Amino acid sequence: MSVRDPALVVRGLRKTYEAGTAPVRALRGVDLTVRAGEFVALMGPSGCGKSTLLHLLAGLDRPDEGTIALDGTRIEDLAPQRLARLRRRSVGLVFQFFHLIEHMSALENVALAALVAGARPQEATARARDLLDQLGLLDKARELPAALSGGQRQRVAIARALANRPTLLLADEPTGALDSDGAAEVLDLFRRLHALGQTILMVTHSREVADGAQRLVRMRDGRILLDGEVTSGSIEVPAELRAASGPWARP
Amino acid sequence: MRTREGRGRLSSGGPILVARAVLRERWWALLALGVVFGLVGGLVPAAGAVAERTATAYTRLVEAVHLDDARTIVPADVPEVVAEVPTMPGAAAAWTPEAWIVQLDGSPVRFSSLIAGTPPGDLVAPVLVAGRAPDPAAPDEVVVSERSAETGVSLGAVLPVTMLTLDNVADFAVGFTAAGPRTTLRVVGVARMPSWGNALPDVVGGPGFAAAHAGTGIGHAVYVRFDDTPDAAARFTEAFTAAVARHPSVVSDYLAPALETPRTTPDQAVVAAERALLVGIGLFALVVGLGAVQVLGLGLLRTGAAARPARSVEAALGMTLGQSLGARALAAFPAAVVAGVLAAGVVIAAGTLEPLGSQARFEPAPGFRPQWALAAVGGPALTATFVLVAVLTAALTWRTSAAEEPGPAPRRSLVRRWPALLLGSRLAGAGGRRGLPPAVTVLAATAAVAGIVATVTVGASLDRLVEEPRRWAGGADAVLVDAREPDVARLVDDPRVQSLALSETSYAREPDGGLLGIAAQTVRKGTPPVELVSGRLPAAPDEIAVNPRLAAQHQLAVGDVLPLVAPDGTPRAMTVVGAVVVAREDYGELGQDLLATPDGLAAVAVPRALPLLTAHVFAVPGAGAGLAAELAAELELSPTATPDAVRNLADLTRLPGILTLVLVVVAGTGMVHSLLVGARRLAREMAVFTVLGATPGQVRTTLAVLAVATAVPAVLLGVPLGVGVARLFWWEVATAVGVGGDIAVPVGALALVVAAVPLGAVLVTTIPALRLRRLPATASLGAW
Repeated sequence: MSVRDPALVVRGLRKTYEAGTAPVRALRGVDLTVRAGEFVALMGPSGCGKSTLLHLLAGLDRPDEGTIALDGTRIEDLAPQRLARLRRRSVGLVFQFFHLIEHMSALENVALAALVAGARPQEATARARDLLDQLGLLDKARELPAALSGGQRQRVAIARALANRPTLLLADEPTGALDSDGAAEVLDLFRRLHALGQTILMVTHSREVADGAQRLVRMRDGRILLDGEVTSGSIEVPAELRAASGPWARP
Repeated sequence: MRTREGRGRLSSGGPILVARAVLRERWWALLALGVVFGLVGGLVPAAGAVAERTATAYTRLVEAVHLDDARTIVPADVPEVVAEVPTMPGAAAAWTPEAWIVQLDGSPVRFSSLIAGTPPGDLVAPVLVAGRAPDPAAPDEVVVSERSAETGVSLGAVLPVTMLTLDNVADFAVGFTAAGPRTTLRVVGVARMPSWGNALPDVVGGPGFAAAHAGTGIGHAVYVRFDDTPDAAARFTEAFTAAVARHPSVVSDYLAPALETPRTTPDQAVVAAERALLVGIGLFALVVGLGAVQVLGLGLLRTGAAARPARSVEAALGMTLGQSLGARALAAFPAAVVAGVLAAGVVIAAGTLEPLGSQARFEPAPGFRPQWALAAVGGPALTATFVLVAVLTAALTWRTSAAEEPGPAPRRSLVRRWPALLLGSRLAGAGGRRGLPPAVTVLAATAAVAGIVATVTVGASLDRLVEEPRRWAGGADAVLVDAREPDVARLVDDPRVQSLALSETSYAREPDGGLLGIAAQTVRKGTPPVELVSGRLPAAPDEIAVNPRLAAQHQLAVGDVLPLVAPDGTPRAMTVVGAVVVAREDYGELGQDLLATPDGLAAVAVPRALPLLTAHVFAVPGAGAGLAAELAAELELSPTATPDAVRNLADLTRLPGILTLVLVVVAGTGMVHSLLVGARRLAREMAVFTVLGATPGQVRTTLAVLAVATAVPAVLLGVPLGVGVARLFWWEVATAVGVGGDIAVPVGALALVVAAVPLGAVLVTTIPALRLRRLPATASLGAW
């Protein structure tokens, strides 16, 4: 896949949840294209549909309407088995709260993802060591997650997400549970990954974190309101979105 | 200031407010746990109530019937001995009714002994369980023992009989024709009493019978109550033995007035059955109790885990851990009271249960017997247990999880081909988050498997004992009492007889004066079966084989020396060469104590004027019944009924099956619950696994690995442990009865356990696997 090929194409995505007595229209027609090698930050207030969008992109939930093409494969109607195979091949996920397996070492957490992706045990171990080395955690390879700092845990989680060499790395508030040093560590890591050509879609509340991305997408009420390039400290807003104003205007 | 007041109110009323909040949110769950724990946990004190009734049945009957301290039968030709008894040293009271031996008219040849008279009320007063007592004026009315009623002499029977004379008794070994008066016995009641047999005949007549037949008996039965002095028994025995020596009888060979002490000599058959029952009930209570606590603990762990955020808020508001735990105790209290009340009800309801198994035959007061005291203790105990478990589980779930603290990483190799195996093994080794440690689950499962295996194995051993008379030296098609040579020779020539052994029985004296039954066998035809438990049969006059019961009591093993005293008073050392079960024809314990060669018997046995010989006849297949019927028409045959000791155990054959069923249900429920709860606690890990790309099949396999990690160690440890426990227990029971203590290993059943436990555990995991498949991974991960 060339740098300009779309890694992800989303069209007309809608999703409504039944929450209590009233339905919640989480997504109301989302169109989004992420090209290979892009680093996209997705921002928006709580409840705007960011996490729902991420769930759908990862194949962890199904849309009511619309299409999702990941690596050129439509995933919205895939059977669970095929979805799982696609996820292990093409998607890496990073969570706000890390979600490492508590009883497995850092090395095993990373290697597990490689094993799931089909690597042989020796390959999985080598891949995990390599990733931990790249992320500066090789000396912590045998440690349990509980023995690591928040930033270290998140780096292990990122290593795990990269273990299957994913087409698309999805990250949901990866710095949300970290202190400023940890957040800076993770953001720097994402920039390095992006520089190496990794496609990243990152949900964040932090404008500072979003500034580290190449492109910023703002959501509100289940729709995308703003989509533009991030230049040094500002967003290059495309002409079609320049009408957006009010709370979405850059301060 | 307002803050201080607020804190003050919080410290005093906070726990109550929190308890109310917990109750509002989870009252139904707590109530359900209370009901389940009360009903299931109540089975533990209820089992105690049944155990108490079972264990005390014999002793309560002993008291209810005013069982005598000593008894014997004194021949009619030595009335001086009977006359002296009431005034002998150590005797506080005595009853000396006249005794008869009667031959029942018709075929087969059957004899019965009988006493009649007016009991004093506080000495030998059998409990009537059917019919009525004899009319004091009726000359023919009798009551019979339950054993007699079960073997044909039942309530309402009218039996023409001919009494034996003392001369007839003297001719036991040479044959006789009953020469006493003829009369008729009418059975008007069935009575319950421990220690029937020998000096307490199975037939008891009233004063009318005694008056009508006075002076025609073969002697008098003597029943004695000792006085309260510590050496009463010894003084009475000494005086009685001296009196017997002063007044020899013409029938002392066959009617030796040997003293029996029914109160001080425990009935081994009763002891063995009682022990088996109590162990069974104890095992039942243990498993049910552990199961109830496990279900309660897992349920309350869930409640405690749900309350973790609330505890954080409470801590922020200034509530101490103790106050938060106190609030959980308060919230649990109503459900705990429900549990206690239900448990007390279960205990009282258990009062409708009679003593279990054979011990029901000793219950002096059949019917409802509630255990109020046990209910009063058991109910509050369960209430307290409920509250305690609630507090402990809350404390357990609130403590910092071990997994959240730095700890040593696993040092095992990562090289595992299957990610599901890798994840499953890691999770199995570490246990679920804030759940029971995996070692506890494995140990509980091991105990359950061991309990099931032990119960099944003991059940198989019990069935084998009952079904194979050879093991208790039974199985002969006919047993001729007082066998005479012409009859034996005729049987040896009879082609229907496959084998025949002639046994001579007597008593051997120990250095301390104790008597041991001793037999010597002579094979007259074929190869009669011998139940050799260990070692070999005696082959020399100074060799002896012992009954397993005697071997256990005297701690005798092959190669040991058993000191005996020859009739002339010289010591005689006999070398033990084996353990063997040899048939015994009287109503005593199962199996003769000793087996010697004929020369060995002659060297140590109390001499008799004529040898007492018994022929054990084994017929060719298919000919046994006809041969026995033919012999019974003209000769006295020993009843081939199952001995009391075996009969008591035979009454228990259903118990292992019931116990196994209970164990399977309780342990199975506990294991299923544990696996389901464990899988639910690992929902987050399974969701992470799914996010990494694991297929539903891999998630299912991971859960299966978790189940196997519990079930396989439980089987590997539980099966040998259960067999070992069964071996120990069965050896205790079997040797107490007097048979070999080797167990019957039910290979098929054990193979079923080995296969079913892991397979069942794996099958159970399909439930949480299906649930996880339906539940989006995002729901388990919560906030990302």
